[in-house]
Amino acid sequence: MSPPELRDLLADALALWGVPGRVAVAEGGVALRAPDGTPLRVVAAAAADRPIRWWVEKPGQRRPCTSVVGLLRTLRNAVGAGDGEARRLRVAMP
Amino acid sequence: MIPVSVVTGFLGAGKTTLLRRVLGDPAWANSAVIVNEFGEVPLDHELLAASEEVLVNVSTGCLCCVVRSDLTATLMELLRQRAAGTVPPYARVLIETSGLADPAPILHALMTDEAVAATHRLQSVVTLVDALHGAGTLARHPEAQRQAMLADRILLTKPDLGGDTAALEAALRAHNPAAPVRAAVQGAVEPAWLFAAGTLPEFLDASARHSEGVAGITLEREAPIPALALTLWMQALAEHAGARLLRLKGLVALAEDPGRPVVVHAIQHMVHPLEWLEAWPGADTRSRIVLIGQGIPRHLPARLLAAIEAEVRDAGG
Repeated sequence: MSPPELRDLLADALALWGVPGRVAVAEGGVALRAPDGTPLRVVAAAAADRPIRWWVEKPGQRRPCTSVVGLLRTLRNAVGAGDGEARRLRVAMP
Repeated sequence: MIPVSVVTGFLGAGKTTLLRRVLGDPAWANSAVIVNEFGEVPLDHELLAASEEVLVNVSTGCLCCVVRSDLTATLMELLRQRAAGTVPPYARVLIETSGLADPAPILHALMTDEAVAATHRLQSVVTLVDALHGAGTLARHPEAQRQAMLADRILLTKPDLGGDTAALEAALRAHNPAAPVRAAVQGAVEPAWLFAAGTLPEFLDASARHSEGVAGITLEREAPIPALALTLWMQALAEHAGARLLRLKGLVALAEDPGRPVVVHAIQHMVHPLEWLEAWPGADTRSRIVLIGQGIPRHLPARLLAAIEAEVRDAGG
């Protein structure tokens, strides 16, 4: 996912969570600001970091995420939007 | 799999009248009817009494059952009795909700109970709206709004009593752009129309219509989708959209077996177990998924699916 694609996805996610804010491509990733003013940055992890795919950074902290699903969960928490309604689904092959 | 249809509608909308009419049709008499008191909303006793009277008077060989406890337990007990031959071999189950009920908990119960989901299939949600009082009810009562939002079919009742049905239909479209609407006096409508499964074309049509707050969003994919990507996408969507995801339906080609489409179905954050079809119902074998949602950013589902799919494909080498 390119930084502009990531920006668009995260902007949509913020809108879905009802969190005001601006998301912009910056420093090889995407920058945004939590409602409490905390600057956040989301960057793609290097291939050598696998299974980590994304980093969510804020001053003094760097959280790893192994998928875009995990990234959304981490970011939702970081912007104070509370928890979603997590469910498990499994496809049983015929 | 026994099809289950839910008949809902606000107090006085005519649910019992409709069911009496349906059960009077010999072709539909082999239906089990459950009058539902499930949920936290106190039952309107007057309505239940009326229902019991109606149910007692139905004498066409149908099976009637008044539920006073848990819906899923009742469904399974009914099924056990059907297998044992102690009740007639009913072909379907019709559930009449309380007029004050939000149907979502009932649908959730049907979709999440493992035993019920393994033996029953949610066929349709039919919502009755009083043509005379419906607009006011819709404006004042959140339960009536939820009943309209979750419908596969909407039946306007008592159109002969007057009322601005055009305005009411517009109000209903604002809450549910997908469900077809018909009017009928005294429940005179073909049961086959009422209880047909909600179809994908209707949902696809709905994607072109927008109304305040509620919108249809369509995804179409030429390439089959990995099963893992589909499940992660549905989970993420349900997790983050929660109650804003009113309905989701689709036919999807999975990369693992693209010749056999899966039917996907979700109501709010509850995802129905995927159902495999033996073959595509038509010549169009593209994946088509339609969401009806409230305040869901229009491009979010497609962007999220693309991102998840890319990761799944990357992880698979």
